[in-house]
Amino acid sequence: MRRSLLAAGLAAFFLSSAASAQTLNVATAGDQNMVDYIKDYLGPLFEKSHPGVKVVAVGTGPGDGGSQKIFEKLDAQKQAASASDFDVVVIHQKAAGTMVQGDLLKKYRDVLPTGKLVTRDTATNSLGTDVSGYVMPMFHSQTAIAYNPDLIKNPPNNYAELREWVKKNPKQFGYNGIKGGMSGVAFVTGWISAFGGDPAKLEKGPYDAATKATWDKAMADLKEFNQNVVITPGNAGTLDMLNRGEIAMGPVWVDMFYTWKADGKLPPNMRLKLVSPGMPGQPMYYAIPAKTAQEKLAAEFIALATSPDVQAEGIVKRFNWYPGIDAKNLEGKLDQAAWNQLFADIPPDTLAANGKPFPIGPYFNDILETYEKKVAN
Amino acid sequence: MAKPSLLGLLLVAPALAMIGALFLYPLGFSLAAAFTEPGGGLSLMHFQKAYELYSTDILFTLFIVVVSTLLTALFSIAIAGILTLGETPWLVAALRALYRWPLFIPFIVAAQCMRTFLAKNGLMNNSFVALGLMEPLQATSLLDWRGIIITFVWKQVPFVTLMLAGAMASIDRATIEAGRNLGASRIRVLLELVLPQVGQTLLVGLVLSFVTMLSVLSVPMMVAGSQPTMLTVDMAFRINSYGDYATANALGVISYAIAGTVAWIYLRHSVKREVQA
Repeated sequence: MRRSLLAAGLAAFFLSSAASAQTLNVATAGDQNMVDYIKDYLGPLFEKSHPGVKVVAVGTGPGDGGSQKIFEKLDAQKQAASASDFDVVVIHQKAAGTMVQGDLLKKYRDVLPTGKLVTRDTATNSLGTDVSGYVMPMFHSQTAIAYNPDLIKNPPNNYAELREWVKKNPKQFGYNGIKGGMSGVAFVTGWISAFGGDPAKLEKGPYDAATKATWDKAMADLKEFNQNVVITPGNAGTLDMLNRGEIAMGPVWVDMFYTWKADGKLPPNMRLKLVSPGMPGQPMYYAIPAKTAQEKLAAEFIALATSPDVQAEGIVKRFNWYPGIDAKNLEGKLDQAAWNQLFADIPPDTLAANGKPFPIGPYFNDILETYEKKVAN
Repeated sequence: MAKPSLLGLLLVAPALAMIGALFLYPLGFSLAAAFTEPGGGLSLMHFQKAYELYSTDILFTLFIVVVSTLLTALFSIAIAGILTLGETPWLVAALRALYRWPLFIPFIVAAQCMRTFLAKNGLMNNSFVALGLMEPLQATSLLDWRGIIITFVWKQVPFVTLMLAGAMASIDRATIEAGRNLGASRIRVLLELVLPQVGQTLLVGLVLSFVTMLSVLSVPMMVAGSQPTMLTVDMAFRINSYGDYATANALGVISYAIAGTVAWIYLRHSVKREVQA
């Protein structure tokens, strides 16, 4: 703990020594594409409309771990009663709940001009915690099963069919466990929702610590299932192996899948399938730390980032994410081809039916820990 | 013996302070955290949790590191032996020029290279297929425990060889020549004359390699999937996903214990030699 605080302190020192009065520090969790988005697209756009302002993007690492680092830093600065040097943070759902409960964020959405454009319930409810007002969804991302249609004519429609398919085709399905990124975590939580009992309770609560005992059968089945799959090293590892033809199927993030395809890192014929009863997806949130000195600038930055134009051009077209604000606000901003491409494999009604939220925080942790105990060990 | 002067103490004070602040304090802190329960009392609960979740990974880590150390020893002795006793000048020259290269490549870069080199349809298998040495269907991915071992050995052999070849070069050539004159083969000279004289250096090199490999995070994370995996990955996961420093510290203490055992063997050995000398 102390060691990471020291590291955070050093980072803060370098950041603040490089900063002038008009520097907006944006800390973002997530993969490199998140940093690229702010550094290459959003930052320059904001600097153009705000002459003299410099946007500095800092990546804190993939997955919930990246958000955890932002939380630790803000929390340490709160305890030291010093101003925070992050002006805008981009965080995952789990951390958003923790930060709201710890009074680390500002309630800013209601005064934001784009605040009313959000309709999804993830903007108010983050894994069981009420976050309304504190966060603005940057985008929504979804996991799905990617497959190679040359090898698989009829992909499985649901988890039960997938289980049978893997039994018949050993070592052709790959996922990255739970330590190598969220696509594997999403697959595992989807498995528990499918085979472990009441999925609505996992998504909405209330939390009951005894529930995890009911997953024993599902976890034992997953352990057996794992005998016939390939455990890949990471989100990108799954895509790599799909690309090299080493596996025929695996869970991926939809946005990464489309981006890799566009970059020529995946064969163009690869397809996606969002199996029932559903796989989770999640938003990333824009939030403003409670003790930033640049509150006005930060709010303007987020207003720009969630404006229909930026959501259409940056989020959907360039980075293949689903928009954070209601998609109907994007009508007319986007050409039909880009729109169709986003929904080619997963039509909007399938997305609405099978795109699930992750389980609420305590269940989420229970699932991961039970997996480590019963499946991985 | 001279009295410690104030100036001398002042000179070492900054270094001591650094060790205290950046090593001893965090070490003590992590040890304490591993044995403290949330209420504040002493407890082994974090170790119990570490065992419940990661017993396979503890064994896996030991297996990987021990096998890698043994293979490193084998290859280093072979290379250093050729460098010292080789009679084919061009081979010795080529080997001498080549063997150090991996020393300058960081673990993470090595891991990244191995990821594409050892994959099922990676560079290695594709080359074998192109050379007609293998059918495409026989190709298997080495990106599991074998990949970790290959990367570790590839990275640590030059380090141990560097130390070993240096030590071998400085021993009395007369002993080697005497052995050769009496008709001993080069293998026998290496194993019975040269190696016993450089055993201490080999041991130091291997102990350092062992501890280094125990602490590498990037290689198991990038080369292999996460089930099973090495303790470093589990520690990073506990901290990154849960902020659970207690269990991570317990795993850390288990790592110290493994590294400490090796250090103890080494210390005992060197003390024994000093007594003999």
